[in-house]
Amino acid sequence: MRYKAYIPYLFLLPTLLGLVLFSLGPTVASFLLSFTEWRGTVLPQFIGLGNYRELLSSRIFWQVLRNTLAYVAIYTPATVAVGLGLALLVNQKLKYIAFFRGIYYLPAITSMVAVALVWNWIFASRYGLINYILRTLGSSRPPNWLADRDTALYVLVIVSVWKSAGLPMMVFLAGLQGIPKNLYEAARVDGATRWHQFWYVTLPMLTPITFFVLIVTLFDAFRTFEVTFVMTQGGPLNASTTLPYYIYQNAFEFFRYGFSSAAAYLLLLVALIITFINFRFRSRWVHTNN
Amino acid sequence: MRSQSDIYVPHRHTKQPIKLVLQYALLAIVAFLMAFPFLWMVLTTFKTSGNIFRLPPSLIPDKLFGEDPFGNYRLLFSDYNFLRYALNTFVVATLAALGQIITCSLAAFAFARLTFKGSRVIFGLLLATLVLPIEVTIVPEYLIALLVYEPALQAIGLRWIDSLAPLIVPSFFVGATGTFLLREFFSTIPRDLEEAAVIDGASVFAIYRRIFLPLATPALITLFLLAFITNWNDLLRAVLYIKSPNLRTLPIGLALFQDEYATQWDLLLAGSVVTILPLIIVYIFMQKYIVEGIATTGIK
Repeated sequence: MRYKAYIPYLFLLPTLLGLVLFSLGPTVASFLLSFTEWRGTVLPQFIGLGNYRELLSSRIFWQVLRNTLAYVAIYTPATVAVGLGLALLVNQKLKYIAFFRGIYYLPAITSMVAVALVWNWIFASRYGLINYILRTLGSSRPPNWLADRDTALYVLVIVSVWKSAGLPMMVFLAGLQGIPKNLYEAARVDGATRWHQFWYVTLPMLTPITFFVLIVTLFDAFRTFEVTFVMTQGGPLNASTTLPYYIYQNAFEFFRYGFSSAAAYLLLLVALIITFINFRFRSRWVHTNN
Repeated sequence: MRSQSDIYVPHRHTKQPIKLVLQYALLAIVAFLMAFPFLWMVLTTFKTSGNIFRLPPSLIPDKLFGEDPFGNYRLLFSDYNFLRYALNTFVVATLAALGQIITCSLAAFAFARLTFKGSRVIFGLLLATLVLPIEVTIVPEYLIALLVYEPALQAIGLRWIDSLAPLIVPSFFVGATGTFLLREFFSTIPRDLEEAAVIDGASVFAIYRRIFLPLATPALITLFLLAFITNWNDLLRAVLYIKSPNLRTLPIGLALFQDEYATQWDLLLAGSVVTILPLIIVYIFMQKYIVEGIATTGIK
């Protein structure tokens, strides 16, 4: 193809504009804002590291950070594991398997707002399904779940895993179907049981995909917002507030734009550090000899 | 994509009936767990209010035997504006998805076939945006909207804040996932196909328009559907930008409806069903395309 040198940039015009207007531009703006005090009325005032200092000495911020790390630490491996489990289930060659795959993926395409209500009922302390079952089984004082500071965050994790596991399932399924059949035949000739085949063939062959799923899920975990917004609003007493919701609250409920931008940058920093650690340890377990 | 026969089949003892029963039993139990909230939701919308919070939970949709079995759904549309919300959501999701296939296919074509300075840097930046949580960009985005777009548009009699525009327009500008997906697809198109057109003197745009777009139809459908689903469910931008009741989309309409009528569960759950059902229908008919897109990019 022959074309003038500027032609490719015409194709990229919307994308370049979009990067400036909706992602990289705001990212830079957010960075600058994080050094200012601004409540949206008068002009922003430069206060240096003031916001960061305030965050790091705020008890609530540390609690929110702890919540975030706990959420990420449970949600990420759980979603990856459940996703792999579902993928193994629907990788069987059976009639109607596409139907089951469809059902398993259903939560992933639905609106969180719409399913929140049912989950609220499932975990409701007095009329809820789970506590009804627990009481029937003989528990005299079952947990209050969403209304209890010790359990609210974990309920959000459970609902999120249910909602998100379909995505890793699909990716793992593609990975499972890409494993060459002759590897299993060779293993069987050597007398490997099904469990051995899974452990010594399937899992190692899946490690590159697992790493990919892990990273995608990790980013997902660091931006969890909707489930908090619709189920607990961070409560009770900030017990289920994670960083994305904290940022939203400070910006759009307390109108502290500069402060919330600083929190956003700390979120980005934490997410990048954890991603970096994962890449550091990648070669320890990811199988690559192609 | 591999053909069906290439797919690894763990064991071929399909003639063991007990094993088969166990396999299906396990599949069905997991399916029940995954689908339970949906089943319960639909069931409850057909219960009379006295029957909803009964313990042990009642499985009987007694309203179905009454005078007005679909009363909850009728009320939503006649008294509570849900038809309007659904229409707004449909407009937002369709236009945003359209924006994505235009923008992403243009960019993907440039990345897959054209050589230019900065190609790798721009592609790298685009992928880097996947890492950015929306929380990092949404505050400045909102402030820029408030201070720049809104006054500028008001000068010519239009609005940005409290309009559907901020839910639609960003999709016309950037889409990292979609660009990535389509670039992968365009790269698989053999070069011979375009060479004939080049000899005939077709312009670059004509090659994009007449060769690449038609060949990429399945990938474009995939991208359209993924973007449609994402935008149908989008809550954050709707929370920030939409103020007028008439402009609400289903997710924000439903969230506010839940705050307002917290006690009328059957009605609220009917609202949930209305929000979810269109997507489920789209999903059932278009499953093949959606699955392919997710398997390729791993990203919603």
